[in-house]
Amino acid sequence: MPPPTKNCPVAVKNNHVQNIKPASFLDLRVLFFILQKAIIILSKLLAFSKKSYLCKLRNIFHQKMLSLILLSVFGITNLFLGFLRQRNIVLFASMAFTFITLVVSWLDMNGTLITFDASLNGGMMANDKLSTSFAFVMLLTALLIFPLSTHYLKDKEAQPAEYYAILMFSLVGALMMVSYKNLIMLFVGVEILSISMYVLTGSDKHNVKSNEAALKYFLMGSFATGILLFGMALLYGAVGAFTTEAIQTYVSANKVVDSPMAFLGFSMMLIGILFKISAAPFHFWTPDVYEGAPSLFTAFMSTIVKTAGIGATLKFVTLFGFIPLGASWYPAWYKGVAIVVILTLAIGNITAVYQSSFKRMLAYSGISHAGYLLMAVLALSPVSSVKAILFYTLAYSVATVAAFGGLMAVAGNKRKEEYAYFNGLGKTNPFLALSITISMLSLAGIPLTAGFFGKLFVFLSVFERGLYFLVVVAVLMAAVGVYYYFRVIIAMYMREGNNEPVQVSSGTIATLLIANILTIALGIAPDLWLNWFM
Amino acid sequence: MLFLTKIYQPSDYLPILIQFGLAVGFIVITMIATHALGPKRHSKVKDETWECGIEPVGDARTPISVKYFLIAILFVLFDVEVIFLYPWAVNFKHLGWFGFFEMITYLAFMLIGFYYIVKRNVLKWE
Repeated sequence: MPPPTKNCPVAVKNNHVQNIKPASFLDLRVLFFILQKAIIILSKLLAFSKKSYLCKLRNIFHQKMLSLILLSVFGITNLFLGFLRQRNIVLFASMAFTFITLVVSWLDMNGTLITFDASLNGGMMANDKLSTSFAFVMLLTALLIFPLSTHYLKDKEAQPAEYYAILMFSLVGALMMVSYKNLIMLFVGVEILSISMYVLTGSDKHNVKSNEAALKYFLMGSFATGILLFGMALLYGAVGAFTTEAIQTYVSANKVVDSPMAFLGFSMMLIGILFKISAAPFHFWTPDVYEGAPSLFTAFMSTIVKTAGIGATLKFVTLFGFIPLGASWYPAWYKGVAIVVILTLAIGNITAVYQSSFKRMLAYSGISHAGYLLMAVLALSPVSSVKAILFYTLAYSVATVAAFGGLMAVAGNKRKEEYAYFNGLGKTNPFLALSITISMLSLAGIPLTAGFFGKLFVFLSVFERGLYFLVVVAVLMAAVGVYYYFRVIIAMYMREGNNEPVQVSSGTIATLLIANILTIALGIAPDLWLNWFM
Repeated sequence: MLFLTKIYQPSDYLPILIQFGLAVGFIVITMIATHALGPKRHSKVKDETWECGIEPVGDARTPISVKYFLIAILFVLFDVEVIFLYPWAVNFKHLGWFGFFEMITYLAFMLIGFYYIVKRNVLKWE
């Protein structure tokens, strides 16, 4: 840089200013002076506020997990917006509300660790980096799912305001599941999420399949919650507290051989949570429920509920497995979970091949993706498996939302969910066909899509742990997966259809566009997400 | 261990098991005893649903209007709400203004729910 010339130009400028507008120059100086004073006063106020009421207010907003409060209050507001005659407002309002919550949770992400109600046994919930990242994935997915629901706005029988409100309440439960520091909060989160989903599953009141699905989901879910609670009681009996810190201390202080009660409690709790993500021996409810529920809520179930479940599993399993602490515990349970992973991958992928309904196929593919995610949980390395899970949940959620958006556009209100209805879609609606193709490629794990890197990161984390046989099984099953995902693509581009035009609403187009752009962007530059958030 | 002064072993819960056994045993024994001890008189009139009054017509399992269920569940909801007021009333002085504001928040949520119910015409019988 050249040294600034101080003599000549400044003097000239000063003369110039003073000669022509002395008053305005004075004004400027006064203004500057006032500004300076104001800044000093403000900074003093800020310094003062650190010990004062203002700071207290700020802390209240931070410590009470603002995103949870916002979602609850917005949900209630949404209910009342439903009384307005203009139904579109409800959709825009709920999207705006979710977006605000997304921004708030993103602001929380880069902040320090915030513990909710720290005075009580070391806190009930914590807003750490992991939980906020999961929250980001789930809120983003919710934001993508909302525009798919435009058909409810025209339907006189439907109650869109209530649906959105219940979805937002269920998001509260999902956020609690990924940020708990006390097992009671885990239970409350699971319940809030599940009960909302039971209601929404049966929301298509005049459809027998929807009613059947709701009853099945409710009964099976209640049993799973019961098992979760039994496990929690046993764990409490052994540890003497519900907090994660107490459990960690207990696990590091005791050998697994000496504490069968705690181990039994751990196993039962794990079964309860694995039910929610539909891992293999506990997956029987999934296909029927996914098929019976209205597609919008199936999309919600297979993305957000699964993400919340896997977040809860990761947090819970971490308590019993991180090597410095749970050195004697990990060998005791990892074989059981490995069997669950293999079963999940095998049953999910092989059964999906035999489905004739696209929606049922997506249900089984959801089971298989739960298997991949569980693999990363099983690897349990502090950095790489957490990264893999976060990336995989985002990639899977975005692709699944696009797939369900395409399905809803093709099926319409008539529940035409067979593969045959996709025949010839490449000619009648090239955009829809292309976006379904991209989402199928991502779910299958083809390179240049997000799904490929998701699988890659998962396999790498499992490799790091040294569970090579799991990787072999998973790669074989991924190859099986390619078959049934490509069936849709073949139907769309190589089969002759009846050339009936397919109408796509503008909301669906927006969702599909954003989901596909995200899928490809994450497939080309996976570090985008990884570096930004973790 | 960390927060409890005493560690409870599974054997400490034996009294609960005994209590449970007694409760189940009492029911089973009374059911068997009433059948064994009571007199049995069967006749056509005795086996009717109602021995006197109007002749029963049709199936007992007719669908009931969902309004009844709604009213019933809303009654339970607001009944439970009142129950939550009791512990607050007992600890009213101890909890002070904090408890007061918490309770106001809670009641406000319940009232919002009540207003919603009224607006949705759930309580209207036509």
